Amino acid sequence: MPNHLSPSEGLDSVSLNRRSFLRTGLGGALFLGTVSVTAGLSGCATAPADRLGAVETRMDARYQFQFLTTGDIELFEALLPAILGSALPEQPNAKRMTVAGTIERIDAGIHKFGPANQKELRQLFDLLNFGLTRVTIARVWPSWRNVTTEQADAFLERWRSSSIGLFNNGYMALTKISNVAFYGYQENWDLSGYPGPPEWAVQVLPQFRNV
Amino acid sequence: MSFTDRIAQGLESGWKVTDGATLTENQTVEADVVIVGTGAGGGTTAEILSKSGLSVILVEEGRLYYQKDFKMDELTSYANLYQEGMSRTTKDGSIAILQGRCVGGSTTVNWTSSFRTPDATLNYWSKRFGLDALSPDAMAPWFDGREARHSMSPWEVDPNLNNDILRQGCEKLGYSWQIIPRNVKGCWNLGYCGVGCPTNAKQGALMTTIPGALDHNARLFHGLRAERLVMNQDRIDSLKASAMASDGITPSGITVTLKARHFVVAASAIGSPGLLLRSELPDPYGRVGKRSFIHPVNASVAQMPKLVDPFYGAPQSVYSDEFNFSNGVDGDVGYKLEVPPLHPAMSAGVVPGHGDTQAKNLARLPWMQSVIALLRDGFHEDSPGGTVSLRDDGSPVLDYPITDYLWKGIRNAFYTMAEIQFAAGADRVRLMHLDSDWYSSWADAKAAIDGLSMEPHRVRLFTAHQMGGCGMGSNPEESVVNGFGEHHHVSNLSVHDASVFPTSIGANPQLSVYALAARNSTRLAQRLQK
Repeated sequence: MPNHLSPSEGLDSVSLNRRSFLRTGLGGALFLGTVSVTAGLSGCATAPADRLGAVETRMDARYQFQFLTTGDIELFEALLPAILGSALPEQPNAKRMTVAGTIERIDAGIHKFGPANQKELRQLFDLLNFGLTRVTIARVWPSWRNVTTEQADAFLERWRSSSIGLFNNGYMALTKISNVAFYGYQENWDLSGYPGPPEWAVQVLPQFRNV
Repeated sequence: MSFTDRIAQGLESGWKVTDGATLTENQTVEADVVIVGTGAGGGTTAEILSKSGLSVILVEEGRLYYQKDFKMDELTSYANLYQEGMSRTTKDGSIAILQGRCVGGSTTVNWTSSFRTPDATLNYWSKRFGLDALSPDAMAPWFDGREARHSMSPWEVDPNLNNDILRQGCEKLGYSWQIIPRNVKGCWNLGYCGVGCPTNAKQGALMTTIPGALDHNARLFHGLRAERLVMNQDRIDSLKASAMASDGITPSGITVTLKARHFVVAASAIGSPGLLLRSELPDPYGRVGKRSFIHPVNASVAQMPKLVDPFYGAPQSVYSDEFNFSNGVDGDVGYKLEVPPLHPAMSAGVVPGHGDTQAKNLARLPWMQSVIALLRDGFHEDSPGGTVSLRDDGSPVLDYPITDYLWKGIRNAFYTMAEIQFAAGADRVRLMHLDSDWYSSWADAKAAIDGLSMEPHRVRLFTAHQMGGCGMGSNPEESVVNGFGEHHHVSNLSVHDASVFPTSIGANPQLSVYALAARNSTRLAQRLQK
């Protein structure tokens, strides 16, 4: 992992913050742990959300979130249009529904990740949700609720192209969780030209009967 | 058409199978032998010991899933059948770890490739680790036996196009290639091995040794996590285990104490060192968790002019060993070339990217082809492997630093894979690296690979083969068990899984695990019957 910033990144005060961030914990754990505590104290909801957001506009309100908080959901509502791009429906209501459904599947997936990786993700999401670190580390000025798709894309590009492995890792975590939950979902299979399991097999296999 | 599901029938016939989630009070159970893990090693051990008349209890942290659950759906399978819901990575997050967590272990979700341990690997073990008894000649009957038990033979159906492109590229360039032996019986050639075989054709532990053991009165606890082996003087007295709730991941608070004369740990190259470390067993030379190997995998994808449909058909049927031992067993790192199946979620997880570009790339999935290179780690002083340690919560984690020696091999493999794909007629090739674009000629790809930075996270890396961490050897100062899997310091403990390999294998490891576990269990059965 590189332990220096490239010249173009090392000039402004924001980068200085990033520099000290990296010095204090390249592994990130200590620093991120602090953020988790601070975020909790400063009133960010870290308990799972029960009902909310884009998610709020959904007709189907039965899903109970197990891991994502209100803040995490706003984060994904901001990021998903940038992550999924033209794969999302254009029609605003359909788009909202798709985003909401994807966030629910992200939550269900993370539940199965188990405690250790949940802890890592909690640190990442808290870092992105907590105002000070959102501004200094992600360099996203507005709160996620007010972030445009262009701003979200710029953030993703910064973390993708960064020479700092920790940010590359964050980029991969956010995009991988989202892409897998989206493209793996049956209703989106057509977007990757995948016809699904061969129909002839589905017709004759016993596990597809009496469902 | 009639169906006979081995598991459903067995459960009906009264197999002793207990779902940990149904337990409501703490209890103690006892048998001659307690086996931790139900994968290639644990299943083999359970069948051989129970057939010899010993009473056996199998302990599996994951849950029992079988045909009724195998609906060819990626998201449910990844969430339920894989470690950490398919989110397992190495410590710094840079290498994705694909590993099973269910009855049958990784054999329930592997792609059925069945290779013998290469002679060069066995000979190296003999020379370097004093494992003379594991010579190719001595092991041959065990490979024969396991090939028969698991119905392993070279795939006779034509490879799907995804695999055939590897063959075509190798043909054009004069590289050797072969057909992969698979452990299947009556395979429908569907392509869903990785999400649980929907037709029971795959002859992994779930369809062979587990039913074989249960037919012989073995008892299986699933949804039960082995927490700690408890010593009394110089022997293990019991295993403390905790039951999981029906979600498979939340401990219910119920504990089970398992007592036995002998304990066999077969919980994988991450799980077994983890259990030994949690148990604080004697480890005077600090060997537990060291020398962990993973066959680091890098990948290249191609856009082909013809429809590939890389999600259908036997996932792996062609391989090339052209570069596996070409620098000698212990020279510059060698790599085996294979092909992965590409379903939508897998592809979305492997191909890095976001936004319109990603949408456009994934929309071309039916024309996509991929080649992977599996690096043969552990045969050189500059490839010492990784280390398994415990997190604060007691769960195991693998730290695997990529050395310059391996980076060199990864770059070489990028060259080879791109060259092969272009030779087979690819329109465009993209390396799985954050900085790689699509390249439309071999010359462009070659120039680009010259300049790619070989760094964690930027290079997309994977592993489906975890080995080592409880290495075997004749010298206790540099190993955990002897050549029979017997622990050097605890007389009633054996390790029967891929964690005992002192290096990586240089091939998909399931047959190596089956064969060694069969050999060592046969000896153990004789020992315990005296």
